[in-house]
Amino acid sequence: MSATYRRVDNAVTNHGSPPPNAPPAARLVEYPTGSSNPTGNPHHDPQSGLRAMPPTDNDPSPTKKEPMFKKFQIYRWSPDEPTKKPHMQEYTLDLNETGPMVLDALIRIKNEQDPTLTFRRSCREGICGSCAMNIEGTNTLACLCRINRDASQTTRIYPLPHMYIVRDLVPDLTNFYKQYKSIKPYLQRKDPNPDGKEIRQSKEERRKLDGLYECILCACCSTSCPSYWWNQEEYLGPAVLMQAYRWLADSRDQMSGERKDMLDNSMSLYRCHTIMNCARTCPKGLNPGLAIAEIKQLMVQSS
Amino acid sequence: MASAFRPSAARILASRPASAIRFLPQTRVAAFHASQRSQILPAGPQVVIGGVNDPAPIPPTSAAHGSYHWAFERLIALGLVPLTVAPFVAGTANPALDAALGTALVLHSHIGFDACVTDYFPNRTYPKLRTFMVWLLRGATVTAAVGLFSFQTNDVGITEGIKKVWKA
Repeated sequence: MSATYRRVDNAVTNHGSPPPNAPPAARLVEYPTGSSNPTGNPHHDPQSGLRAMPPTDNDPSPTKKEPMFKKFQIYRWSPDEPTKKPHMQEYTLDLNETGPMVLDALIRIKNEQDPTLTFRRSCREGICGSCAMNIEGTNTLACLCRINRDASQTTRIYPLPHMYIVRDLVPDLTNFYKQYKSIKPYLQRKDPNPDGKEIRQSKEERRKLDGLYECILCACCSTSCPSYWWNQEEYLGPAVLMQAYRWLADSRDQMSGERKDMLDNSMSLYRCHTIMNCARTCPKGLNPGLAIAEIKQLMVQSS
Repeated sequence: MASAFRPSAARILASRPASAIRFLPQTRVAAFHASQRSQILPAGPQVVIGGVNDPAPIPPTSAAHGSYHWAFERLIALGLVPLTVAPFVAGTANPALDAALGTALVLHSHIGFDACVTDYFPNRTYPKLRTFMVWLLRGATVTAAVGLFSFQTNDVGITEGIKKVWKA
């Protein structure tokens, strides 16, 4: 079945100028070419095979929603004024004019109210991990966190806790990335590949990596861990340890012994006290606490 | 505290007015702080060991402080369960069981408190305080062990002792 796609212009299909509050033009409707008009839609265009959306100029104009003002308090600190104490700055937004997520609100504040507000963001769909911050007391990704629709409550936004702050909501993740690098997060082999082709895995072996490889290293879990707050210079933290386990669990990796030796000291791994804030806060629904427990078992089995 | 002698902290102290405020806990300029002052010690300066693109240094391997330590800790914790239940099952106090229970209890609490010392008094920040706390804990553990030993040999022993105190 072939289908043609074409931009359907309101100006053409409406037989007149669009009403002032009509949605922007260009709606795509797929319709098989050559078939008749089974829907009986009077706006069907038999030549293109495309069915236009019904015109909106006869509809009663939609009633404008009451504005729904909500307050956001955001942590502010600027290195330009290092002697000024960090403070909470309040912004008010009409939720009916704002997207559903906290990141939408932040972008709107930056665009329309205060261009000096600083935060990291990139993908706006929870795959880059840039917009990790502490929203209403929970570390999460601003792009995956819905705005609480209760307008009587103020949403408070802080940077990730117990991190050195570069500016406003931007934490310094240098140490976090250095720790990630220290676990050698890449495949290490001693033997060449058996037949010069790819190193194969069974389905069971591949399944062990599920729930580990999805981590986007947003640092929500590590910065929610009290043990990481106290000893982040030496303790690797849940995010990095889960990646350490990801490579220990990989059937293709041949340096498990060295990887385990790296963790065999009092600080790197064993500062985990199974507090489980990591699993509770993970915006991707992963369980770093379980991965750390698996490492602890592996360490005993081998040594 | 050693932090008072850090150059940056000293500069901040010097720039403050000479009044009683000086002696209150002070907030470092760049410290993470947005609400009330309830901190005990100011946040230390950020320390990056090596370049920003170098991997974090890996501590020397020591199974005695790592995997063996963890396995030993778990074995003792597991062993405490039957040792606690045994006197109830046996109905009478057995000196050998009492001795095992006493030993396991002392070791278990020593390892537990030792974890607290490692967490709260890191060597990199408070090396002297850390040494002091380690020896304080060792002293407490030895005192508890000697006390239990004499209670066991000269008195009725743990199980009987608890039985006498326990009025449920």
